[in-house]
Amino acid sequence: MKHGIELKINGDAYEVLVSSNQTLLEVLRDKLGLMGTKRGCDLGACGACTVLIDGEAYLSCITLAMDAVGKDITTIEGLSQGGDLHPLQRAFVEKGAIQCGFCSPGMILTAGAILDEEERPTEESLKKKMAGNLCRCTGYKKIVEAVLSVAKQTETED
Amino acid sequence: MERELDVVGTRAPMVDAAAKATGVAQFTDDLILPGMLYGKILRSPLPHARILRIDISRAERLAGVKGVMTGQDIPDRKYGIVPKAKDEYALARNKVRFIGDGVVAVCAIDPEIAEEALELIRVDYEELPAVFDPKEAIKEGAPLVHDDVPGNISASIKKEFGDVEAGFEESDFVFEDSLYSQPVNHAPLEPHAAAAQYDPLNGELTVWSSTQIPFFLRRNLSTTLLVPESKIRVIKPKVGGGFGGKIDMYAKDFCACWFAMMLGKPVKFVYEREEVFIATRQRHPVYLRVKTGVRRDGTILAQQFSAHADGGAYNSTAPLMITLLGFFLMIPYRVPNLLYEGYHVYTNKPVGGAMRGHGVPQARFAVERHLDMIAERIGVDPAEIRIKNSIHAGEPHPAGFIIHTCGFADTVRKAAEAIGWHEKRGKLPFGRGVGLAGGSFPSGVSNMSHISSGAVVQLGRDGAVNVLTGAADIGQGAETVIGQIVAEELGVPLEDIRVTAADTGITPLDPGTFGSGVTVRAGNAAQLAVIAVKKKLFEFVAEKLEVKPEDLVARDRRIYVKGSPDEGIALSVALKAYQYADLPMPIVGRGSWTAPATEPTTLLKQGGNFSPSYSFMTQAAEVEVNPETGRIRVLKMVTAHDCGKAINPMLVEGQLEGSIVGGMGQALYEEVVTEGGQVMNPSFLDYGIPTTMEMPETEAIEVETDDPLGPFGAKESGEGTQVSPAPAILNAIYDAVGVDFMELPVTPEKILKALQEKIAEKR
Amino acid sequence: MRLPKFDYVEPRSIKEASSILSDDPKAKILAGGTDLLVNMKHRVELPSVIVNIKRIPELDFIEEKNGSIRIGALASLKSVYGNPLIEEKLPALTLAASSVGSYHHQIMGTIGGNICQQNRCKFFNQSKWWRSSREPCLKTGGETCYVVNKKGTCYSSYSGDIAPALLVMNATVRLESNTGVREASVEDLFSGDGKTPLHLEGGEILTHVIIPEKAATGFSMYMKFANRESIDFPIVGMALWASMERKEVRVSFTAVDRRPIRARGVENFLRGKYLSEEILGEAVGLASKEGAPVKTSLYSPSYKRKLMGLLLKSALKEAMRRQRR
Repeated sequence: MKHGIELKINGDAYEVLVSSNQTLLEVLRDKLGLMGTKRGCDLGACGACTVLIDGEAYLSCITLAMDAVGKDITTIEGLSQGGDLHPLQRAFVEKGAIQCGFCSPGMILTAGAILDEEERPTEESLKKKMAGNLCRCTGYKKIVEAVLSVAKQTETED
Repeated sequence: MERELDVVGTRAPMVDAAAKATGVAQFTDDLILPGMLYGKILRSPLPHARILRIDISRAERLAGVKGVMTGQDIPDRKYGIVPKAKDEYALARNKVRFIGDGVVAVCAIDPEIAEEALELIRVDYEELPAVFDPKEAIKEGAPLVHDDVPGNISASIKKEFGDVEAGFEESDFVFEDSLYSQPVNHAPLEPHAAAAQYDPLNGELTVWSSTQIPFFLRRNLSTTLLVPESKIRVIKPKVGGGFGGKIDMYAKDFCACWFAMMLGKPVKFVYEREEVFIATRQRHPVYLRVKTGVRRDGTILAQQFSAHADGGAYNSTAPLMITLLGFFLMIPYRVPNLLYEGYHVYTNKPVGGAMRGHGVPQARFAVERHLDMIAERIGVDPAEIRIKNSIHAGEPHPAGFIIHTCGFADTVRKAAEAIGWHEKRGKLPFGRGVGLAGGSFPSGVSNMSHISSGAVVQLGRDGAVNVLTGAADIGQGAETVIGQIVAEELGVPLEDIRVTAADTGITPLDPGTFGSGVTVRAGNAAQLAVIAVKKKLFEFVAEKLEVKPEDLVARDRRIYVKGSPDEGIALSVALKAYQYADLPMPIVGRGSWTAPATEPTTLLKQGGNFSPSYSFMTQAAEVEVNPETGRIRVLKMVTAHDCGKAINPMLVEGQLEGSIVGGMGQALYEEVVTEGGQVMNPSFLDYGIPTTMEMPETEAIEVETDDPLGPFGAKESGEGTQVSPAPAILNAIYDAVGVDFMELPVTPEKILKALQEKIAEKR
Repeated sequence: MRLPKFDYVEPRSIKEASSILSDDPKAKILAGGTDLLVNMKHRVELPSVIVNIKRIPELDFIEEKNGSIRIGALASLKSVYGNPLIEEKLPALTLAASSVGSYHHQIMGTIGGNICQQNRCKFFNQSKWWRSSREPCLKTGGETCYVVNKKGTCYSSYSGDIAPALLVMNATVRLESNTGVREASVEDLFSGDGKTPLHLEGGEILTHVIIPEKAATGFSMYMKFANRESIDFPIVGMALWASMERKEVRVSFTAVDRRPIRARGVENFLRGKYLSEEILGEAVGLASKEGAPVKTSLYSPSYKRKLMGLLLKSALKEAMRRQRR
């Protein structure tokens, strides 16, 4: 069954023809050319496919495209404004929190959703919420440091 | 090397980090070409069977399917990562040897149709008796995995250095232990993938592959496709982790090329996560036996070691791995007499291959546990026994290794101090403990043919520096490190450097990312290339300034007389003048570096220096074991690493921190579980790579020893740290609960069982 | 891995959803999708039509009413544990909801979906290709249960975290269909049959979870033991409710049987007793005999039994500690 739907992604409205059995991840990558969202396992167990839906972290590989209609979807492509890096992206870059980079889009989006809700999470709370984003390269230390450094930034900005 | 450094030694962010952070960095599956077709592979559901008949007719007829191929369609050319151990076809011919062996490949206009097509294929098999245990596989009468390999032993090595029996005679004590190291999966976040495009007019194949070694892949493709290497271009896009698992050629590479050639369309294969677990590679499970003779004071006099590696159905790196495991018994401790026997045994199971450490973690696991147990038995402190037995730089070495720099004893001291060894070992309450383990690793391997790395540096009139290197960055930051070396040598900031890498059509040869040799090989090559550029430039500038070229130095985007920064010119001015003098622009320099070796050997020859340099490290762990539930937490992990000189301390830390968690995964959380040859947990749900919740506190201590052979004194830091975290943790568990674990992983279930047995014994 | 093909509908009312379900026995409800969609990729669930009930209003709420706390089936796990009412009055539920999967699963997953999740087994939760190494198992339409290598009964395990927390609070669920409404205890919802784990009549949809506040007053907690501390299903999960003054406990386990169980043997033994070390020890022994763990996962039944006792002991000790304050 094919449906013509409109998906709102990074503030833009995209019209796509999808089958009911297509996941949001497939539509993003295969139909819309938004390759920043990654396919790590396709079964919702690694977090590489994380996108934000209405500001919350979702696993796009187990989200039907049909189910994302009418929502505000943010992918990694939607994070930076103009030529500037989002503070989280900058922190990840500067603190060495990126090695192979495959987990990074999902990791950064999850971190962004966490900080949007909880401006200054404790390290414990942060680790618990990021535990669904797997990384095989970094051992997580610099990732946690990068996110906490951004949280601290908002502290000094107050 | 007393030299003030501006770029080398700084915590420069990776040159492609921003691209990765914004999602624009291109991995193989991100590549889309017009008319692209998508491939999938049908794999054997049986561990050992003869292929009787393959019926692809229904698959071929499915709308959207463009090609179907089987092992019978491909040239009868085996391949393998080690030339003398080639035993694999891209798709199985006649026989399947493990559950997961590729049998049929299809390609279609979209992946969904390709998946559907697989279900329409019918393969008739004649099941054969299978063997799953290497100890059974070597017995007489066991089923042969490969008909031409008797006893299922596909590689073996027996080597003696010195006289082991005499050594045992002289020893005050001789101890023997048996251990087992489990199969572990690399689990890179990016699944294996390859895309290929063929130009029928000029017969050229372009391949994009998530690979660690573009040049080896090119050779393997050439051999199996029967296409000259000159007509194959392999490009490495961003790679989402490799850890050794992306060294080999796989069906995805071959089939993408084959279909591209047959159909004249670009073709892409991307593996499912399940395929990564089952049908790529894993760390060899090994049965280890170690016997060591020591003096009363703990000095090692002799060691006898045997290793039976469960190789799975094919060789991959078999002879290399089984040899490395043995050679690396000779460092970091002085073992004056060693007898080593290693066997690589075929079984009808997933294939073992190179994985971060490549045999050395297994060896280290055995030796470091064994050494701790010896220390306990003879009443010597485990840290002391390691310092006592440490080799030293410049000493003659029983296997002929040439050790220029060795900070091992220092790493033991520093790690011990950082973990609080003297306050804690043997002194913490029941359930808490500290342990340590030492290790060493080669910075690339010598004594292998074609192991040189080349680089070309082009300095243009605009001051931009182009570096062409064959080095394969798989996320460790090779391109950044090379960029830093070039920038330092040329006296410019890192931002002036542009690195083009790992494209066999453009970049010079590089052996690839394995054996932890990229910084040393490719870094040295790049440095030499810059020196060649400087030679041309300095000759020109020297004449202008009326000084000798050897008096000049390049720094801060200037060229000036050593010691007199004012006596010089800006680099941009020099380049302008160079061009206006009608000298060829850009200024091009090339460099090539290969580790000094007495002769090209293949490692299996007796002795010889193995590597240009060796890194040394000690890991110390503090653990907490809950005796009620058996839950083990690694509270803190310290790694003291002698990597010569950290070209980029932030990237080195990244390697150390990643390795610690990887090693911890092997120690406590990970195991590829098979039943009847079938992987029972081929998913990120059931195979537990550590999450943020498992993170220990980590401390990385860099011990700099300034190696003469590495660029700016550098040695490896990419693999060494993953050889010893597991025994460090198990040694700490011993301190915590008094149980010696002899196998990996150590799970809460095993802890409970062991504690129960201990209580029962006491009664 | 692509999803199989299916028809897709977004009903706007329970009645509409229920009609579709009762008309087509192969129709399935889509809530969070974290269970169903994965199983569909594995081809162990092949619905003809997916009924996305998330557009039905008034199924996502948490309220206190008439001496009970009522939670709509579509309340996300995150909203459950983030709710101050639940945090204060139903600590076991808070702990259970925050222990499910990972943060993403808690955002996407619903309380109704978690309760109604499919049973699990290492032979069942695998791709179609993986399963082709043997004849289909009983749960997927074949004859043999490979866990016990026998025909006739499916031994897949119920592994949800929420159910045990609800069981110890004597919670009920509201089941609505296009023909009527009924309330059933959470306990009665589970059939104990691995192949069809839920007692749902044609077209029935779980719409509310109702927890009687009286049953919940006291000490309660949920403990989960798994390989890692995120993502994983429990090796064993245990909920405990205790009232030291009434000398009564309620204990429930998950991942030890084909349904979540109340450990009535333990409960009966402990009723009216003061918790001495000796009594505790005996209770631990009894706990290990509850349920019927089999090797549906990588973890052995004997280890699960051990864990059942250990978790009970930890929880009881914690209950005693809290009561002393």
